[in-house]
Amino acid sequence: MDRRKMRETVLGGLIRNNPTFVLVLGTCPTIAMTTSLFQAFAMGLATTFVLIFSNLFVSLLRNLIPDKVRIPCYIVIISTFVIIVQMVMRRFLPDLYSTMQAFIALIVVNCIILARAESYASCNPPLYSMLDGISMGIGFTAALCLIGIVREFFAGGSFAGMQIPGFPAMSGVGASAFGFIVFGCLMALFNFIVEKIEARKRSMRRASLPLASRAESLEEVQQ
Amino acid sequence: MDKTKFRSMAKCVLVLAIIALCSGLLLGLFNWITYVDPLQSTYEQFSADTGAVFSKMKDEEGASYGNGSVVYYAVSDDGQYHAFLVQASGWGGTLQMYVYIRDAHVSKVVLGENGETLWSQFEDDFFSQFVGLDLLQTDAFGQTDIQTGATAKKTIQAIADAMNAVVQYYNDQVAGGENNG
Repeated sequence: MDRRKMRETVLGGLIRNNPTFVLVLGTCPTIAMTTSLFQAFAMGLATTFVLIFSNLFVSLLRNLIPDKVRIPCYIVIISTFVIIVQMVMRRFLPDLYSTMQAFIALIVVNCIILARAESYASCNPPLYSMLDGISMGIGFTAALCLIGIVREFFAGGSFAGMQIPGFPAMSGVGASAFGFIVFGCLMALFNFIVEKIEARKRSMRRASLPLASRAESLEEVQQ
Repeated sequence: MDKTKFRSMAKCVLVLAIIALCSGLLLGLFNWITYVDPLQSTYEQFSADTGAVFSKMKDEEGASYGNGSVVYYAVSDDGQYHAFLVQASGWGGTLQMYVYIRDAHVSKVVLGENGETLWSQFEDDFFSQFVGLDLLQTDAFGQTDIQTGATAKKTIQAIADAMNAVVQYYNDQVAGGENNG
């Protein structure tokens, strides 16, 4: 296994290609399912499960699936795992299932899953594809949880269902419009921090180069 | 027909059919593992909501009243509670509700499986407004009988239709009808 590729795949889903904050995919569940931390976490887990297994199977079958019918095949694979999630949730988490039912079914058309199947799993080996699914899933779950924490705090004055003394619930803040505002602010903050870290890394790399190479590298950056 | 084109088309159909077949088999296996008997789960829900014991259904066939319908009707073993599983078509598909009657009055309403997406618009104690409703004094239940600030019209209509099914069924079949007693 190529270590560098592995590292890129893992960091890609979490930071550089974070599906929520960088690629801005799956905005519908991001807004709908982040009114509380618990719901956001459950949605993230369900999506992660579907991502991992759909990526694995798309990758395993990538040489068998004809190009013309690849999208219908991906949809069949993805919907199979979404239905499995539905069945398991219905059996073991009926209360959670009754509140999330509509959105669990919508995972089938979640852009993140189809996008990863089409752009990554269909041209990479199974192990990398699974890793990509895990990384993208964790990135998506973390982003949803972050938005969920902020929204729940302002709308309900609570954290993970526990009331925080001194912070009353604000009416109207639970609406989707506020969800978009929180989403936008966190996206801006995330990209700002990532950009700062990348810039620092670049300058450190430049500083460690010999003088001649440093000038070349600076030219490259300027270009 | 061009032979190559036919071959390519046949391959596409075959691959898609095999994937669909495998998917069906996998889902069948999971369905077998996670299968929940609807009657058993309804008994459990009735008991959990009322604290009473329900050991058999009084009506497993149910009855339809327009958009709303009664799916199951049971009486608790001590005869105190009349429990209904009712459903109606809402915005996101079928909406189910558990309605419990004691002394001809609604004692509790619990939301069941549904695909509605606008529950955040509804008040936290929305379903408590139905508690105390005298079924013998009510002929029909409509959308205007529901008090809410929510604007989810189809969901409200579905709830009204489900409640109406309980009112109609109770008055027709329980209070003076064939299931009385």
